[in-house]
Formats: sequence, C-alpha cells, structure tokens
Amino acid sequence: MNGDRQQWRQHLEQFLRTIQKPGRPLESLGQSDGLVSSGLIDSLALVQIVLYLEETYGIDFAARGFDPDRLASMASILDLIEETR
Amino acid sequence: MKLSRLSQFHENPVVIAWWCARLRRLLEWLTPTRRRLILAVLAVWVGFRRPLKDLAQASELPVPTDGLGGALVIVVLFAFLWFCYKAAASFAALPAAVRRHPILTLHLLYWGVLAILWNSSPAAGLWRSVLLGVGIIFPFLIWRCGYVLLAGQHGRIQGTTFLDHLLTLWPVYGGSNTPYGKGLAYLSRCEAKTPEELARSQLAGLKLLFLCLLWRLLQDLMEALLYGPGDWLTGRLGGRTVGVPRLRELVYEGGQAPLLMAWASIYCEMVWQVLEHAIAGHRIIGILRLFGFNVFRNTYKPLLAESIVEFWNRYYYYFKELLVNFFFMPTFAQLGGVLRKRPQLRLFLAVFAAAFVGNVYYHLLQYETRLVLGDVFGALYQLRCRMFYCLLLVLGIYLSMARAQRRGGQAAAGGPARRLLRIAGVWTFFSLIFIWNVRSGASFLARVDFFLGLFGLS
Repeated sequence: MNGDRQQWRQHLEQFLRTIQKPGRPLESLGQSDGLVSSGLIDSLALVQIVLYLEETYGIDFAARGFDPDRLASMASILDLIEETR
Repeated sequence: MKLSRLSQFHENPVVIAWWCARLRRLLEWLTPTRRRLILAVLAVWVGFRRPLKDLAQASELPVPTDGLGGALVIVVLFAFLWFCYKAAASFAALPAAVRRHPILTLHLLYWGVLAILWNSSPAAGLWRSVLLGVGIIFPFLIWRCGYVLLAGQHGRIQGTTFLDHLLTLWPVYGGSNTPYGKGLAYLSRCEAKTPEELARSQLAGLKLLFLCLLWRLLQDLMEALLYGPGDWLTGRLGGRTVGVPRLRELVYEGGQAPLLMAWASIYCEMVWQVLEHAIAGHRIIGILRLFGFNVFRNTYKPLLAESIVEFWNRYYYYFKELLVNFFFMPTFAQLGGVLRKRPQLRLFLAVFAAAFVGNVYYHLLQYETRLVLGDVFGALYQLRCRMFYCLLLVLGIYLSMARAQRRGGQAAAGGPARRLLRIAGVWTFFSLIFIWNVRSGASFLARVDFFLGLFGLS
C-alpha cells in the first residue's frame, strides 16, 4: 500500500504542477499543508482536482458528496484515493 | 526589499518575539478556550441586541414592538440555532433526504415560514408577529446555519459545543448576511494554538486594521480630489476637484453622459467599491485575527489581478466562498454523474449556479421585508439589473476559468507591459459590468444606454 501511495503522490504532484499558480514552489509544501491556504491554488481550482480524481481513480463525487476538506492537502487527497481503492 | 519587509512585519520573527515579550502574560492567559468563551459571551449579547435593533428598524411591519414580543423573537431564534446545532451534531440520525440535501432543507424551512406568513391573517395575533420578526432576521443567520450543517455533514462538529458555534452565528466581530470567516470548522483550522501563533495572528490583525484606516483615508482623498463638489479636505489640498460624477447619478443620463467623465466614473466606481469591501472586510478579519483566528483576508489586492476569476477570488472572498461552498461545488459534483464526458458544459453550469443563481438568490434574501409580505416578484423585479450583471459575471468567470485550464498552470506570457494590459482588461471588464451593479434608481435601459454611450453607440 505504501508503494501505491508513493506512486499516487508522484502522480498527484505532477498533476498539481499543471494547475498551480505560477511562481509557487510545490516542493516547499508539506504533505498536510493546505493547497488553498498556502496559496498554491485557489478554491475554484478544486474543480480541476475533482476532475482529476474522477478520471484517474474513478471517484464518484456525485454519489459520495463533495467535501472541500477532503481535497485540502496532498495527504487528505491521498487518503481519499486510498479509501476508494 | 525594505518595503516588503516592512509590509510583512507580522511575519518577522524579531517583531513576533518583541510582541511576545511585551504581552507574554496576556498571550498566555488568552488560551483558545478563553478566547472562544469571550467571543461566545459577546455573541449572546449580539443575539439579544441585533434582533431588537432589526425589529425597531422594521417598524412599518406588524412586528413585535413590546418587550414580550421582542423576547419571544429572541427565544425562537436561539431555539432554532440550538436545533440547527443539534441536527448537525446528530447528522447521521437525520432522515436520508435531509442528509443528502441539508442546505436545501434549511432554505425550504425558511420558505415554509414565509408561506405560513403569507397564508395567515394579519390579525392572527402574537404568534404571527413573532414569526414575522423571525422572518426578517433569519436571512442574517441562514448562511451561518448552513456552515453549521455542512460541518455536521462532513463530520467536523464532534468536540464542539453550541457555545463554540454561537460565536460565528451572532458574530460580535460584525458582518453582513455573508459570514466573514465562514463557520467554526474553518475558523478552527486557522486558530492560533500557542502564544507565538497568537502573537503572529494579532500582528497580522493589526496590519489589517491599519490598512482599513489607510483605505478609508484614500476614500476621503477620492472624495476630496476626484468627486465634486469638494469638502474641507479639498480646501486643504488646493481647493480643486476633478469633478468626476458618481456612477449612480451618471447612469441616469444614459447615452447623454459626457464621454470622458463617463469612462472616468466607471473606473473610479470600481476602485471605490474595492476600497469599500476592503475597509469593511479588513475591520472584521482584523478583529478575528486579534482573537487568534488567522483567516484569509476578505479582499486581497484585487486591483492587481490579471484574470477575471482571480479578481473575483480576491475582491470579496467570503461571499465568493459562500457561492462556491453552497452552489458551485455541489453543482459541479452532482453533475459528475451526467456530464462527466462534457467537462466544459459541467463547468459552465456550475459557474452559472454560483455566479447567477446563488448570487441572485443571496440578494433576494436581502429583501426580507418584501419577502415576509409575499412580494417575491416585486423583490425579483428590483433585482433585474443585478441579474444582468450576474449573467455578464458568469460569462466572464467561465471564460476566464476555461482559459486558465487551457494554460495548464503555465504563467501567462509576456513582460510587464503585457501584465499591465491584462490588469487593465480586468479593470475594464469589472468597471463595465458594475454599471448594472451600482446602487441607483436608474432603469435597466438607461444603464444599457449609458453602456452604449461609452462606445459612442447610443
């Protein structure tokens, strides 16, 4: 599972680089740091993360409901992916 | 470099250490529990004072004017807030339909109260006048209750008490129908836990309160130098004003407004509105930060935004968050089932749900005195200019978001000149759509005429 999580994390980081605001180093962000509160993305960019999770991991937000806090940090996104595996 | 260090003084470890040394005892005494308790006790006071004030202002309606009636309104409101908290605390035990749509249920409940008022005789007695009082005050609480229910839905209410939530329901730090600082769940995430964190938060709060004064001064300067006919400050600054007309007055002239002044007026109005929001927001968030809730500002440099969506995000953050939390994201998530293969349509509908439906509905609830009397269509008619403004906003936000998505995280091209052009584009877009947002008695068509006149098309 740890290997999977590592792989998901790399994939997620790769994706976040495509939606993050320019000039903000993703590397300086801790796993539990807020993606929105750190200024890496704005709250509207959460739709991009929803699309990413739906397409890549088949997570159905229509069925499970949307909780922005589940997408607040890299760690919480990885937890969400893990839950749905 | 020095200026940036000065403006970021609240992050400077030396300043924080100095603040801690000066106020060590107070910072240690003001534990999170004590700070919450102070705000909660003050919230109880607001919970008494605000309804009585609102009832006094609605004296044209048959609302309670005596002590007993006023007391009953307060008791009913507190009882409802407690009921809302209990519902959130036992969220899993709620009926499935309520669990699926807690916010919709809350709003249906309010409209149910309105329906009872519409269908009851004005001579029905005390219970009706109490319900009327509740009906005009509840729009202030409805979005705040929404955040309590969302906390319950997302399992973030455990370990909190009714008193904790009360500080956001009747905020002593102020606010409009928009809950600045959202609900307790968000505040808790940004809450200072140690004296050092509290010091940092307080310094950040002081900075906002200072900026609040600075922007107030800038508004006074605008009033004295740009807008006519001049005041005491104008006299002190040389006695001359540019004499730019206020947009709310100029739109009456439609296409007859002088061209140069019309353009100056729309830009000045946009800057004025930004300052208004910054002043109000900085005061509220400044106070919250003094109490250790180091939350986002309400207004953060929107005039430097390079895209429409960025401006919208920075101009009135907590209103935007309300629309995103209660309209945009739920719509976007729900549409995943049917529009997964059509992401652009899904995005457009979610933007429409927030920037049009949510925005208009939020402002409809501000016509509480019309609503309790059953004049819903009259209230909607009053909002016709705002509806058009919201439609333009939807288009602007959608195109801006779609553009940002296409860029895929890459910075927009070009040097400082291109950046300036982008900023000017954003200023122009919002200045133009504010024509239909500015509070004025001018008709919709006069505003259209004014807009066309800006391009010599009237």
